[in-house]
Amino acid sequence: MSDRIVLEAPLDGDFGSVVRLIVGGIAAGADLGFEEMDDLQLAIERLYAESGGQERLTIGFDLSPGRVRVRLGPLRERGLADALQREHAHGALSLAGVLDTVVDSYGVEEAADGRLFIRLVKLVAT
Amino acid sequence: MSAPDTARARAREIDRELLRRLHEDGDESARERLVQRHLPLVRSLARRYSGRGESLEDIEQVGAIGLIKAIDRFELGREVSLATYATPTVVGEIKRHFRDKGWAIRVPRALQELNARMSATIDRLTSRLGRSPSVAEIAAELKTTPEEVLEALEVGTAYTTLSLSTGPGIEEDSDPMESLGTEDEEFSRSEDRASLAPALALLPPREQEILRMRFEEGLPQTQIAERVGLSQMHVSRLIRKALGAMRDELQ
Repeated sequence: MSDRIVLEAPLDGDFGSVVRLIVGGIAAGADLGFEEMDDLQLAIERLYAESGGQERLTIGFDLSPGRVRVRLGPLRERGLADALQREHAHGALSLAGVLDTVVDSYGVEEAADGRLFIRLVKLVAT
Repeated sequence: MSAPDTARARAREIDRELLRRLHEDGDESARERLVQRHLPLVRSLARRYSGRGESLEDIEQVGAIGLIKAIDRFELGREVSLATYATPTVVGEIKRHFRDKGWAIRVPRALQELNARMSATIDRLTSRLGRSPSVAEIAAELKTTPEEVLEALEVGTAYTTLSLSTGPGIEEDSDPMESLGTEDEEFSRSEDRASLAPALALLPPREQEILRMRFEEGLPQTQIAERVGLSQMHVSRLIRKALGAMRDELQ
């Protein structure tokens, strides 16, 4: 059984800190430690900052014991999804490299109607 | 000449030689050595501004930017010592930081104080528990609520944003990104996202090193904090600030 929280935020204006604060609250509720919470905030913050070309972004959180799953989208442009899917050297300083480090897994999901979403999984450290 | 006078004269000679190597030979390692040599001065000046709701580490970081500016602007023909020349620049940078961010005006004092206590508390709990503490544990230790902890963390994060334009070796009047070239206007945003590396060199050396440890070596923040002698919270802020600044510059 998981709990689901959905947040829709505008990309214009300075809502980044509001999103970060909410992500912090959700991570705290899921019992992530400070460092794991910080990692998740950083991942979403970077994706939020990179999701240009659209007015709003929807971020869905699924909380289940031991993990937080996040789904962002739909993306209006393919650029961000392409960047994450492209091969990259381990340890290279790129958005994909940052996600490699701060979340346990991530990927791009293409819905049947062609809409693109990014999903992240962050596990609670044991 | 007394022993202290001799030591001071020797220190000035070393500074002069390093400044000459930096300004005449373009030796970047000389700048790094000068920064290290004068960090105690920055710490001493930063302490005067502690207790105003921001951690001493953050004030020192701002003061260090002032020090780098002073080193880069120092003219070898000057008769004054680098320490004398740098002092007003460091103090000015710290004062401007407080003025620009308006911390004392906009942020309730209780949150300022909570933020200032947070860093040491997180480090203490991490050491005691052998893992990263939860927000609830931090709140319990600070005898406050998880909501206030999150708010105080956010206050500190939002407050720590400095432009890459204040980095070392960059004149205030010039745009650091001019050096990256502009002919690839068609260079797609996805390519930009694929690599942040072009902006890495514009960061101060310490931030470059922290990013390398975090994203190349994959070290956790706690280990990086130990290696560089900062708190975990400060390392977190530097990483966030550095990534944000790199992205801003690439855009």
